[in-house]
Amino acid sequence: MSTDTTRPADSRAEGAPAGPDLLPTAGARRTWGVLGEGLRSIPGSTALALLTVLAGSAAGLVAPWALGTMVDDISSGAGPEAILRSALLIAGAALVGGILVGLGAWQVSRVGETVLARLRERVMERILHMPAARLERVRIGDLLSRVGDDVAVVTTAIARNGPEVVTALATVVLTTAGMTALDWRLGLAGLAALPFYTWAVRWYMPRSAPYYARERVAMGERSHALMGALRGRDTVRAYRLEDVHEECIAERSLTAMNLTLDVFRLFTRLGARMNGSELVGLGAVLVVGFWLVRDDLVTVGMVTAAALYFHRLFGPIGFLVMNFNDVQQAGASLARLAGVVDLPAAEDPGAQEGPAGSSLRVEEVAHAYAPGAPKALDGVSLEVAPGERVALVGASGAGKTTLAAVVAGLITPASGTVYLGGIPLDELGERRVREHVFLVSQETHVFSGTLLEDLRLARSDADRGEVEDALETVGALDLVRSLPEGLDTVVGEGGHELTAEQAQHLALARLALADPDLAVLDEATAEAGSSGARLLEEAASAATKGRTTLVVAHRLTQARTADRIVVMDQGRVVEEGPHDELVALDGRYARLWRSWRR
Amino acid sequence: MTAAEGRTAPDEPPPTDAAALRSRTLRRHRGPIALGAFFLSLHQLCEVLVPVAIGLTIDLAVATGDVVALAWCVGGLALLFTVLALAYRTGARLTLGVAEREAHLLRLESAHRVLHPHGERSGLRSGEILAVATSDADQAASYARAWAIGIGQVTAIVATTVVLLSIDVPLGLGVLVGLPLMLLALRFPAARITRRTEDKQATAARAAAVATDLVGGLRVLMGIGARRDAALRYREVSDRALTASVGAAASNGVYTGLVTAAGAVFLACVAGASGWMALQGRLTVGELVIVVGLAQFLAEPIKGLGMVGQLFAIAKASARRMVRLLGAPDAVTPGDRVLPLSAAEEDPSDEPILALRGAGHRTLDDVDLTLRRGELVGVLTTDPRDAEALVDLLSGRANEARGATTVGGIPIEELDLASLRRTVLVEEHGVSLFEGTLRSNLVTGPDHDETRLMTALEAAAATELVDGHPDGLDRPVRDRATDLSGGQRQRVALARALAADPPVLVLHDPTTAVDAVTEEAIAQGVATLRAARGGATLVIASSPALLARADRVLVLREGRIHAEGTHTRLVEDDPHYREAVLR
Repeated sequence: MSTDTTRPADSRAEGAPAGPDLLPTAGARRTWGVLGEGLRSIPGSTALALLTVLAGSAAGLVAPWALGTMVDDISSGAGPEAILRSALLIAGAALVGGILVGLGAWQVSRVGETVLARLRERVMERILHMPAARLERVRIGDLLSRVGDDVAVVTTAIARNGPEVVTALATVVLTTAGMTALDWRLGLAGLAALPFYTWAVRWYMPRSAPYYARERVAMGERSHALMGALRGRDTVRAYRLEDVHEECIAERSLTAMNLTLDVFRLFTRLGARMNGSELVGLGAVLVVGFWLVRDDLVTVGMVTAAALYFHRLFGPIGFLVMNFNDVQQAGASLARLAGVVDLPAAEDPGAQEGPAGSSLRVEEVAHAYAPGAPKALDGVSLEVAPGERVALVGASGAGKTTLAAVVAGLITPASGTVYLGGIPLDELGERRVREHVFLVSQETHVFSGTLLEDLRLARSDADRGEVEDALETVGALDLVRSLPEGLDTVVGEGGHELTAEQAQHLALARLALADPDLAVLDEATAEAGSSGARLLEEAASAATKGRTTLVVAHRLTQARTADRIVVMDQGRVVEEGPHDELVALDGRYARLWRSWRR
Repeated sequence: MTAAEGRTAPDEPPPTDAAALRSRTLRRHRGPIALGAFFLSLHQLCEVLVPVAIGLTIDLAVATGDVVALAWCVGGLALLFTVLALAYRTGARLTLGVAEREAHLLRLESAHRVLHPHGERSGLRSGEILAVATSDADQAASYARAWAIGIGQVTAIVATTVVLLSIDVPLGLGVLVGLPLMLLALRFPAARITRRTEDKQATAARAAAVATDLVGGLRVLMGIGARRDAALRYREVSDRALTASVGAAASNGVYTGLVTAAGAVFLACVAGASGWMALQGRLTVGELVIVVGLAQFLAEPIKGLGMVGQLFAIAKASARRMVRLLGAPDAVTPGDRVLPLSAAEEDPSDEPILALRGAGHRTLDDVDLTLRRGELVGVLTTDPRDAEALVDLLSGRANEARGATTVGGIPIEELDLASLRRTVLVEEHGVSLFEGTLRSNLVTGPDHDETRLMTALEAAAATELVDGHPDGLDRPVRDRATDLSGGQRQRVALARALAADPPVLVLHDPTTAVDAVTEEAIAQGVATLRAARGGATLVIASSPALLARADRVLVLREGRIHAEGTHTRLVEDDPHYREAVLR
């Protein structure tokens, strides 16, 4: 198995010809802008953070300078009180410096974390309220990586490196200033190292960036191979594919390892270039100092101070260069977050009036997933009276799910209108639509947290009793009671694991709790076995009793109990009527029913 | 190193405890570790010499104005930096190479252990095993690196000691005793801060988990109109994370301030003392610079040693988890009797190829079941646990089964695993497909014949997957086949099983995610293909379409075979059956 054939081709994995949209990424200027907005919103803290960091770094300059003075005092044969004065000066600066540096680090973290927290909240806000039309086009993986990885990268950068980067920067700037203050020529000599540092970084960055990217990809593929084999280990054993999978893991692990070693080799070469720059700067300071002392322009003490200043810079400069990559990465992630923040907010016309009643009317709705693609819906019209239950029936690809999504307001159809209680959905606005229409989709998701919290997502003001009533309605109370801590059991990722069937059952409980005017059910029972499916069907009928309901019937038993059945084929309605009538008609539905019942 | 070379798992038994694992690590790479330690020590030595070189230059050249001395000093400085850079490069590459190679080997060993045909009973979940094979492998392997780094740091401390003592004994002793004491004192607040930082990380991780969880269920949130509540919920968690972060930052700030102040006060003491000595003429100005420079430098290797200690602790914890997996007992202990493939396929006698006599396992109590070549037998279970137990039993995973289960006349517990898996293939309900292509998922043996794959796809009513895609059989499939629908995944897995064409095929609920029309096509396809190949097939399902095609149907209830007959007969005679099957 070669790596080429196993790499997922993301770009063409989905069937949609246009391909999914990526969320925008902000440009450099806009990214700085978003950062600036955040900083300006807390001006006091920002100013305080900057001032303390600068003052703390300045205090650090005292020691080498005092040492230089000490050297001169010794050379000129001053008394012990001069030495004591210098030593006390260093100690005093140390205490003040300690306080300032500590305060500075705290303030920088505080500012950074606050700006980040507000940013991530804005990002979540934008993503959670993304208009349905856009959500339909973006990849969920892209969203997840923004709120997951990108936030994590920026958080790590701020928490771990933020204060140090700011402090190191301040130290470099102030130390250079200190050297120049001793004597401008010494300062200039120290600056001779700058082009070499710059050259080292500019040599390294373009070479390493693609390596890092490849390394990350390789590690991801390694984990994929491992996880794939682990999760499917029973299958691997059943088909005796152990060797094939081990081979694949070995290959990917090796690829990742070789990339790591290559990147590191490059990194050590950067280290050598950094050492070279240090040599140039230190040598320059000493040689220039030598001539200046000879010409009596500066004292030995000043040269000493300058050399110590420069030696003191090795650490912070090294830190900045070594972490340049992290900072760059944080910048890239920040740009991706800023891109989300700038998404246009969902426009919500917000009709003042709620729908007049719970009737549903679909008028001449047509929809294709991309321009030129085959029509998923082709002129569908449909009416559902208040309290009526209508089942959609048809083969895969007939357009049932699309129609359900259109009715639930998740897809805006290319043409045609859906009326709820006589008001078109797009006039109602998304918020109101959500209040009146409830969709139980094929996708089940158990939100992590307690079961109570999960269920209350459907209606946040419901109390415990109401939640229990809803569970009772769909016959899930026993299920919940059997959980270790009942309604307070932590479920979802990392909690008590619910089966797909249980998750679906709870989704129906959410429906009962939300008590909407219109319920749309889509293939709610597909993954459950037969006995489970029947249980879920009963739960679904209980949850939708007396409610206007559109149900995508995957199992024809769901269709039989409906008031009316709508048979779809290739995006059109081909038959319509109650079960018995359609069976008697001996058409498409009758054929489906016979093959189902055999 | 090639993939094949890396794969050669040593034949020696797996390490029994963390210490054994770690000493094996050292043994495996002793050459490069020793060499790496040497170069890293050399590098540290050079680092020690940098302040010495500065002091010497000031003393010999700057203070005297001697140009020749300056030339020598600059030349020496250049040499020093060259050796320093080369030593670091060589040492660092060697030690990282060791760590990476060892991590690779440990990774492969874990994968080998997990995928071993006999299975393992480590009790670790998939996520935990993944962590063992990735981060724990890395951390356990860093043990070797920690040694080399530690040796380098010790060298630096020793070298500094030598230089300081050679300049002035009391001053040197003062620095050598004072500095470690100070650093030790600073460790107490550090421990508290580490705890707070961990708390903070936990809260931040929770915020991240809530974010990905909500976004992962975004479409559901939308469908149930809960997006506003979700945003509120996230804001709450994010706010809590912020409070924790700022709290941790405050204690971090106190610590940073303490360290900065303590370091500088210590420096003031050293400077004051050596300045006074210089005044007395006991030290030259250059020596003063050297002492102060070294006093500053010494903190680095001491802190470095502390870090090495942490590395050791982390490596130990990882090694322990690693051993838990590597040394886990087998899940099954198979026999060693071989069933020749020919016997499984064309034994002329009318012996059933698969027979259960009074078999019991978990909920199964006393099951009699026979399956002959060319037969298609359906099993209807009313309790899903019965089905699971039967699947377990037939995959050879049931260690303490009761009664007799024979394959090709040989008791299943005496059969070697290769023979069993070659003969009986169980395609489970929970479908596992792998990242790759459609073809790579379908081909499970040496036979790559394309018509065979297409025939299998046809029987599984899955040809649309090939026809509807420009790459055909080579269309990419993502990890866990998330780019296919549930029904498509089920059909690909079924086609894979049919293409494998085993003498005995066991299918468990193979059509739960497909619609009625497709199900009908699948039932027909499976029956026809298996009959044509002469293989025996056992279908555990409640789908009437599948059961109607079976030669006979067994009804499994309360751990026993409750009824047997054709689907039609059972529908007519058995009201329970009718109730269970008809929908």
